[in-house]
Amino acid sequence: MRARTIVLFAVVAGLSAAAGISYYLWSRGGGGAAMAPDSVVERVLSVRVADVKGESQSLEQWRGLVLVVNYWATWCAPCREEIPGFVRLQERYGSRGLQFVGIAIDQPDKVAEFASEFRINYPLLLGGLETIELLRQAGNRAGVLPYTLVIDRKGNLVSREQGGLKEARLERIIQPLL
Amino acid sequence: MRLILILLVAMFGLARAAEPELLEPDKAFRFAARLTDTRSIEVSYQIAPGYYMYRDKFHFTLGPPDVKPGEPRFPAGKKYRDEFFGEVETYRGSLSIVLPFELGDTSVPAIQLAALSQGCADIGVCYVPHEQKAELRLAALSAGAMRSDAAPGVFSGTGLETDDARIVRVFEGGFWLAIASFFGFGLLLSFTPCVLPMVPILSGVIVGTGQPVTKARGFLLAAVYVLGMAMTYAVAGIAAGLSGAMLSMALQNPWVLGAFAAVFVVLALAMFGFYELQLPVALQSRLADASNRFHGGHTAGMFVMGVLSALILGPCVAAPLAGALLYIGQSRDVVLGGSALFAMALGMGVPLLAVGASAGALMPKAGPWMETVKRFFGTMLLGVAIYLVSPFIPVSVQMVLWAALLIVTAIYLRAIDPLPAGAHGFQRFSKGLGIIALIAGLAYLVGALSGGRDILQPLSGLRVTASGTAPSAAPFQRINSSSELDDRIQAAAGQTVMLDFYADWCVSCKEMERYTFSDERVQARFSEMTLLQADVTANSAENAALLRRFRLFGPPGIVFFDREGREIQGLRVIGFQPADRFVAVLDQALTFRR
Repeated sequence: MRARTIVLFAVVAGLSAAAGISYYLWSRGGGGAAMAPDSVVERVLSVRVADVKGESQSLEQWRGLVLVVNYWATWCAPCREEIPGFVRLQERYGSRGLQFVGIAIDQPDKVAEFASEFRINYPLLLGGLETIELLRQAGNRAGVLPYTLVIDRKGNLVSREQGGLKEARLERIIQPLL
Repeated sequence: MRLILILLVAMFGLARAAEPELLEPDKAFRFAARLTDTRSIEVSYQIAPGYYMYRDKFHFTLGPPDVKPGEPRFPAGKKYRDEFFGEVETYRGSLSIVLPFELGDTSVPAIQLAALSQGCADIGVCYVPHEQKAELRLAALSAGAMRSDAAPGVFSGTGLETDDARIVRVFEGGFWLAIASFFGFGLLLSFTPCVLPMVPILSGVIVGTGQPVTKARGFLLAAVYVLGMAMTYAVAGIAAGLSGAMLSMALQNPWVLGAFAAVFVVLALAMFGFYELQLPVALQSRLADASNRFHGGHTAGMFVMGVLSALILGPCVAAPLAGALLYIGQSRDVVLGGSALFAMALGMGVPLLAVGASAGALMPKAGPWMETVKRFFGTMLLGVAIYLVSPFIPVSVQMVLWAALLIVTAIYLRAIDPLPAGAHGFQRFSKGLGIIALIAGLAYLVGALSGGRDILQPLSGLRVTASGTAPSAAPFQRINSSSELDDRIQAAAGQTVMLDFYADWCVSCKEMERYTFSDERVQARFSEMTLLQADVTANSAENAALLRRFRLFGPPGIVFFDREGREIQGLRVIGFQPADRFVAVLDQALTFRR
């Protein structure tokens, strides 16, 4: 009788734990479309996007650096708020191997205007439909901006941040990676 | 054990802390579009609290290329100064934008709208440009109803509503609205000849238990009875939710309807006083024993009566019920199905509760007045019995039955007895009614004997012009499978095609055939189209596949195809439609061009 009770409890607990873990994963990563972190990094690095001048670029060129990929737009007020902080961090840690890359879901002229006004000291690229699709697969199901990925020197996805990112918080994430 | 608990709590804590709740863009910005007239579209957004949209980021595209969009008209939004963009206008709450357009070619059947929008949430994120689409059917405009992507596909579309469709619409308004509507619907049903005769029966059962009945006890008994009835309907609703539309199919079987008609005749004869309507003596004594042993034996009997009466009344209210069951079957929503029918039965029970609470006082206990009321109800019950079986018997037999009912009623009303010299006003009135019934009955009798075909015009068979021009049955080609349908549609190249789903048990189909298809105007339009009929009585696998193809759960259903063989969306006819309205639908189908 006692043994039976224990088995019953164990089964219930096991099921609950499984449910809890799957809910946790689901709420973090989002559905079946989410890719494994490694393949997210590979896709992000390999995909080719145009820069403000219209030339095709890939993020492959920055492999081996501590990479902060920031998806943003000029029309997105929360995105703009975090950019001065990015500029300061790029200035402070750029020499130690930190590289910011901004991918804007926007019109080229607006991005260029914004870049000069805010003195952006890191490369800006222009994302299209493909970028939006990639965003969704990377775990950003609702497709929101800003969205920031932090990738270490070995190509591991260290962090994905949805919404505005405080300078101090980002600094704490990148410092151990440098 | 404690460890597991801690683990579980930790799991949920982690899950909750993961990210702030963020709505999917389709939920944050609920999109709908409808045609307001032939030159403008109303695009509306329901913006969730805490979310906003940018005025200057909307972009609308229309297809096909013949449709040229005009300048959208925006309402005033909330303005604020943006450090980078200058003045920016945003919207919160509900937003409605008017998008005018011009039609280059008036034969365009539908407009495709793609709406690109951008919005943000106050928690500090914005959504990437989001596209939402809708198709707006111009064919449906003349009928008065429009369809956007959000609307459920099967029953929406035509503005010419049938009873079934009207009930289906009730469900679109949400759960409680549906429940309330069904309660009201039940209340209305309680005044139909199906339910009203139950009032004296119930009061007889309550009062006729031998013991004196208090108001409280009367109400309790009536409540138990109504509860029994309501629970039976709830079970029917749940069954419909589980089984699809099989239930309404079962209820429209000739044998079932015939059996219930017989029950109605039995009840009617009791009303006429041929015998006392009581539970069988054996059962009665059992119940009496039980109630002696434990309190509430009689109550249990009333509950059983309620269940039985629901079964008896079921087929009688089946016609209005069919739409509801069809919808519930299609939605497969067991909770809604059960609750809706429960609410309907409660509505039907309201008059019964009133009678119960009055402990029979509402019904005069004795006297000729009560006898008259009972006879009246008895006559109504007989009428219902004839109505129930009418789809399955020839018109001439129906006429004979109506004639018999009317003439016998007339005799009871003393239509041919001489009035006494000092006749009471009521007697004179009743004799007047009797004579009307007698003449109507005779008309039916003559009509039946002279080959009348129209139940509403029993003597039309006597018309000189009508003789010899019996309207031929509509020349339907039978099809049995999906591939056969495609072949026939191919063969009909250039002609509009009408596909009628039919089954022997389908009452509305027979009514349609008898009253609508036989109409001269309908026949004239039929001659211009190819008529196909799918007989799904057998309910074979091929039949089922055919129904599934059109997302129908069963007949009645009429589907039209244009000259190129594609279905004309939004022009389906579900349920019975009188000739006037059906002619309008046929005209739309015939003039439809893509």
